[in-house]
Amino acid sequence: MKAIQHITLAALATVFALGLSTDATAQCRSFTKKRCLPKLEEYVQNDNYNTAVLIPGDEAELSLTFFGGRAYRLLVCGHPVLGDLNFQVLDARGNGVYDSTDKDMSHFDFRVANTQQMTVRVQVPESSAALQHEGCVSIMVGSKS
Amino acid sequence: MPTTRTNALKKIFHAVPSPIETALLLEASGVNFSTGDLHDPAKASGYATTGSQAVNLGVYAGDLSYATIFNRNQEAIEYLNVARRLADELGVGDLIDSALIARAEDNRQVRDSLIHIVTSTFYALNARLKENGMEDVSGLIAAGGWIEGVYLGTRNLDGATQDLKVRIAEQKLTLDNLMSLLGSYPSTEDLAAMIASLEPVETAFAGVSIVDHAATTTTADDGMIVISGGPEITISDETLAAIATAISEVRNHYAN
Repeated sequence: MKAIQHITLAALATVFALGLSTDATAQCRSFTKKRCLPKLEEYVQNDNYNTAVLIPGDEAELSLTFFGGRAYRLLVCGHPVLGDLNFQVLDARGNGVYDSTDKDMSHFDFRVANTQQMTVRVQVPESSAALQHEGCVSIMVGSKS
Repeated sequence: MPTTRTNALKKIFHAVPSPIETALLLEASGVNFSTGDLHDPAKASGYATTGSQAVNLGVYAGDLSYATIFNRNQEAIEYLNVARRLADELGVGDLIDSALIARAEDNRQVRDSLIHIVTSTFYALNARLKENGMEDVSGLIAAGGWIEGVYLGTRNLDGATQDLKVRIAEQKLTLDNLMSLLGSYPSTEDLAAMIASLEPVETAFAGVSIVDHAATTTTADDGMIVISGGPEITISDETLAAIATAISEVRNHYAN
């Protein structure tokens, strides 16, 4: 009987966790649409959906090819509950090209002279709060000629 | 929302250019539009499996983008309707509903509006598929779009501009992104088949020479940061022809 109770509780916990996860993911889509997409209005938006639910201390990375002759807006859009996100842009060799630290900017506008692969690395700041919150982080890219 | 997770994670994303971005590059490189190169819309109803529907939705998205960028408005609307049919089969047809098609028809003369409609629709589609745990399907759509972009760019290479040749060569980098994307999802039969189908394309692209250099940044007169340096990419006509053949084979394998 006890074993059945344990299994039932575990199943309920799993269903609850899955429910929360689906809910958080759905909220992310809504958050991205309302808070992030408008910031790319002047650009042709890349249609990849690079969004995840993260917590303090997490990192996210995006690898992408940027084309010569195009201007880009790289937007790192995070839910305010996560605090100010830092991000860096690295070239194919891993050398730093840009660092948002101390810049108080959620986006980086630049032009690319020669086509190249770059990596965007995002950090969610650590938090000392007793109750850790999760929030959406989206890495978005728009381009124009 | 409070969380119970305490261990930090690193989420890795891989992205490929959207079909619209590829079409913009092709247009700027002097490619001529040819309706005959596009996939036959009538074949859209013949795809019965999720995998074939996803790949062909990507292929048709490539054609939709191509038609949009080249101001072929009638074709663009037709391919949007085809995309709707396949999206419906994949359970996300509500994202390309009658209102969206009507909005596209109302804006058919305004290229920027059509571009916005196409990119935001496929962004929403990718988001929904990932939300529904169908990331593999999203990956197959991206693969179909990539294949069609390179296919359309390599149809008429006689008299191709140097700019077009370089743009095709650069797709070696985006193929690398695509293979990483496909490999990042839990393997399925369809993903494995796509990765295997792209191997001859990778072999053809191996002929593209890439000499790596560090990126450099400068600030332009208007204050914009300019990223230069990076790889030096060259391609021979033989490699270009090999890519054209390899991409044609994989494209026609899926879009048959």
